Amino acid sequence: MSSSDTPSFQYPLSWRILDRAESVAGLWPGRWSSLTGYLFLVPALLLVFVLVIGLVYIFDYSLHELDLSTYRLKDAFSLVNYQAALKSVTYRIVVLRSLGASAIVTLITMVLAFPYAYVMVRTRSSFTRKFLLISLFLPFFIGQVVRAYGWLIILGKEGLLNTFITSLGLPPVKLIYNYPAVILGLVQYMLPFAVLLLAPAVTSISEDIELASEGLGANWVQTFRHVVLPLARPGLIGAGVVVFTLTLTDFAMPEILGGGTTDFIANSIYDGFFQISNPGLGAALSMILVTLGSVIVTVVFFLAGTGTLVSTEGTP
Amino acid sequence: MTGARGKTIVLWSIVWFNLIALSLPTIIILGASFTSGDIVRFPPDGLSLKWYARLWLLDDFKDAFLRTLYVSVICTIVSIPAGTLAALALTRYRIRFRTAIQVYLLLPFTIPLVVSGLGMMIVFGEVRILGQLWPVGIGLCCINLPFMMWAVSATVNALDNNLENAAANCGAPPLQAFLTVTLPAVMPGVITGALLMFILAFNEFLVSLFLTDARIVTLPVSIYNSIRSVITPDLAAVSVVYIVIALFAVWLLDRLVGLELFLKSK
Amino acid sequence: MRKFDNVPKINRRQFLTGTAAVVGSALVCPGLVFADQKKPKEIIVRAWGGAWGDALKAGVADGFTAATGINVRMDFTEDNEIKPKIWAAVDQGRIPPIHVNWDTTTNATISALRGVTVDLSDLSNLKGLLPLAKPIGLDGYPLVNTYAYVYVCAYRPEAFPDGPPKSWNVLIDPRFKGRVALYDDGIGFNPIAVLVGGGKLEDIPDHMEPGYEFYRKLKKNEPLLGEDADFTTWFQNGEIDVACTISVNARAAKEKGISVAWTVPEEGCKVDTDGLWVPKGLPPNEEYWAKQFVNFALTRDAQKKWCSMLGLPPVYPGIEPPADLVGDISYPTKPEDFKKLIRIPSKVLVENQPKWFAKFSEIFQG
Repeated sequence: MSSSDTPSFQYPLSWRILDRAESVAGLWPGRWSSLTGYLFLVPALLLVFVLVIGLVYIFDYSLHELDLSTYRLKDAFSLVNYQAALKSVTYRIVVLRSLGASAIVTLITMVLAFPYAYVMVRTRSSFTRKFLLISLFLPFFIGQVVRAYGWLIILGKEGLLNTFITSLGLPPVKLIYNYPAVILGLVQYMLPFAVLLLAPAVTSISEDIELASEGLGANWVQTFRHVVLPLARPGLIGAGVVVFTLTLTDFAMPEILGGGTTDFIANSIYDGFFQISNPGLGAALSMILVTLGSVIVTVVFFLAGTGTLVSTEGTP
Repeated sequence: MTGARGKTIVLWSIVWFNLIALSLPTIIILGASFTSGDIVRFPPDGLSLKWYARLWLLDDFKDAFLRTLYVSVICTIVSIPAGTLAALALTRYRIRFRTAIQVYLLLPFTIPLVVSGLGMMIVFGEVRILGQLWPVGIGLCCINLPFMMWAVSATVNALDNNLENAAANCGAPPLQAFLTVTLPAVMPGVITGALLMFILAFNEFLVSLFLTDARIVTLPVSIYNSIRSVITPDLAAVSVVYIVIALFAVWLLDRLVGLELFLKSK
Repeated sequence: MRKFDNVPKINRRQFLTGTAAVVGSALVCPGLVFADQKKPKEIIVRAWGGAWGDALKAGVADGFTAATGINVRMDFTEDNEIKPKIWAAVDQGRIPPIHVNWDTTTNATISALRGVTVDLSDLSNLKGLLPLAKPIGLDGYPLVNTYAYVYVCAYRPEAFPDGPPKSWNVLIDPRFKGRVALYDDGIGFNPIAVLVGGGKLEDIPDHMEPGYEFYRKLKKNEPLLGEDADFTTWFQNGEIDVACTISVNARAAKEKGISVAWTVPEEGCKVDTDGLWVPKGLPPNEEYWAKQFVNFALTRDAQKKWCSMLGLPPVYPGIEPPADLVGDISYPTKPEDFKKLIRIPSKVLVENQPKWFAKFSEIFQG
């Protein structure tokens, strides 16, 4: 196509840009094309590397004792921080409290989330489905701090519930700044995560299997127990692990709804760094939390499979 | 209770319990923000918009809001290419040590947030960028990146391999095939991921707590600080801003890709 | 001395033009002698919330803004938490997160010993202040004390029909289970706990065990733990009957029409001071105006307004107490007032208070 006979004609701009880009991309030698995939990974690998360096720093901090005369970490390596953290009764209680809360929250959340996911997937009404989805996404898109604030208004001394209780002539009840309030806040926080992880698992269960089960004389409870839940197992494991680890490492709910006496591990780490200015101890607690979480997840995956979290498919 | 009716009753009671638990804090905050009294109580002392008016006049609030917006935009802009390309690499390209790389890229989810936050505080401090605003956006991108990758991979997995092959067979050079076939096909995933990244960054609190200070405080951190001092109804008005933004995001997500996308089995 | 090696050599000609410029600008605007006094848009002052922040705003910040046009923003980050953040910033050569820290004298002294505070000796308003203003055991004025205060035993009179509590033992009285309150780091109660637990003043700081034993008993009584503004809220909402808190917080509830009183039980109460300091590492002009803020806080007007709102005795001499606090135990002015109160030497607090905090949180988190 020469420009002399059709001077007014030009390829569309997008084509020309594409051609130009293609010629630039052509500089990338063909024999390197097997490297393209790795090139694509570089930005993500670098971003995650920031966290890895951070972890290395924290590990380094954890190996140095605080010098109380200067409030700086000593140069010498020592395991004093780990000894202090593991020996302390307080931290043992904090760890057990966090683990206990994780177990309770996971159990309650799964019991509540599964029926929600099930109804949402199985309902024939697209309006109902939309309504359930919106009710799920809205709190999912509102952060922990705002939701915790909402609970403060509901559970507080002059909150909604206590106003109701006192209007019945009963004395006000202390509903906040305690363990149950933290559990409630966490369950509400985890529900959207759990439902969104469970819904695909429910979708993958063919309704025909349920109908077959019921056709064979099983009632819905039996069908649930022997057909639906076993089939949803990968989803349940995936959702359970996510809820468990998110609870184990949570900071905001115990901080805001716990009133300073129901600290989780994350709160102790924060206090180690900022309240008592001992980054070494805080770092040791951080490493303990990382280890604890990894061990638990590994054990669960070893015993029950990886669920839906790690996809083994996708090889081209 | 074991009949069909029983099933409906049991399942729907649980669903309704969930619905109440999920929406009660939101509804209560909305209600509290319209009080005309000086403290949050029930029933409210009367209706007024005075806390919104006060909010409007508060420079601190406006500054914090703009900063949060800025941080969220940076987080989204960085995560779109990083997450999309990584997801494509892992699903469409021959990569050695795929599983190891997948586990590595999931580190933002496996490292506890409090540890990630502290780690970045130390790293950013060491390179002297702590106390500036843009690193906060990068930090939020680091911790939420798997969401972006997850959203894109979900659509890539659904993409038919043969489409790209067909494009190549018709003589499309690799870049053109990538730009005209692959990218449009994964666009719903990119949009979902970008929206998730934005809204999660806009709400993120714990890592922001470590990476900001009074000079560059963002909205979630300043709400947290206010909760710790005195709880006044202007906090409710601030929270309503979040509710409105969440509503808009849900609407947008539904319009763009459909919420039902999240029900699909992989 | 290494750092002076970097100073660029100035030749005579440059020196002369420089001097001329300075003199010239000083003639043009007499108030501004140095070029580095450019006003920042705002300065950030770390403060305590509730009645404390209100008093600083009305008593000092508003006046400072009116006089200079510089806005004052208050940052309510907790005092213990801002400390490591400032330290890290100074260590790493970054600009610190705040301009002025309103701090407990103990924490301020720890920061001063670490070398992160700016010397305030050249402030014009230091002259003529009470001796209390001068920090103990430090050269010059790396911080300046601004008032004294007492950690009183505040109580709801309705809960004590037989008169005010006589002993701090009231905190472990099962009748008030879940209705007693303390600071969340135990500040103000650490030395008292030793005394009420059966120890003596001489036991501090080497034998704190009686105090820790008292804490363990106290923990069973489920105290509420909080910061200044929390006490006011709790009294307002009728959530507590008795608390160890600074009188300011109880008085704030009282001013809102809540019935609250305070007393000094037989074991005594801890008296202490707060101060202001400026962190190192600020740009020169911001440091200048941060110091001017501190200087402003030491004027008679600011001291009078700020401290009478707080209800605390200022370091500026000759200011009358607010009418409701004349002769009040929470407003010590004369030597005999201080006899009933316990003042722990600054050195002891600096070396031990962080350990007491750690032990307190260990016991109450357990």
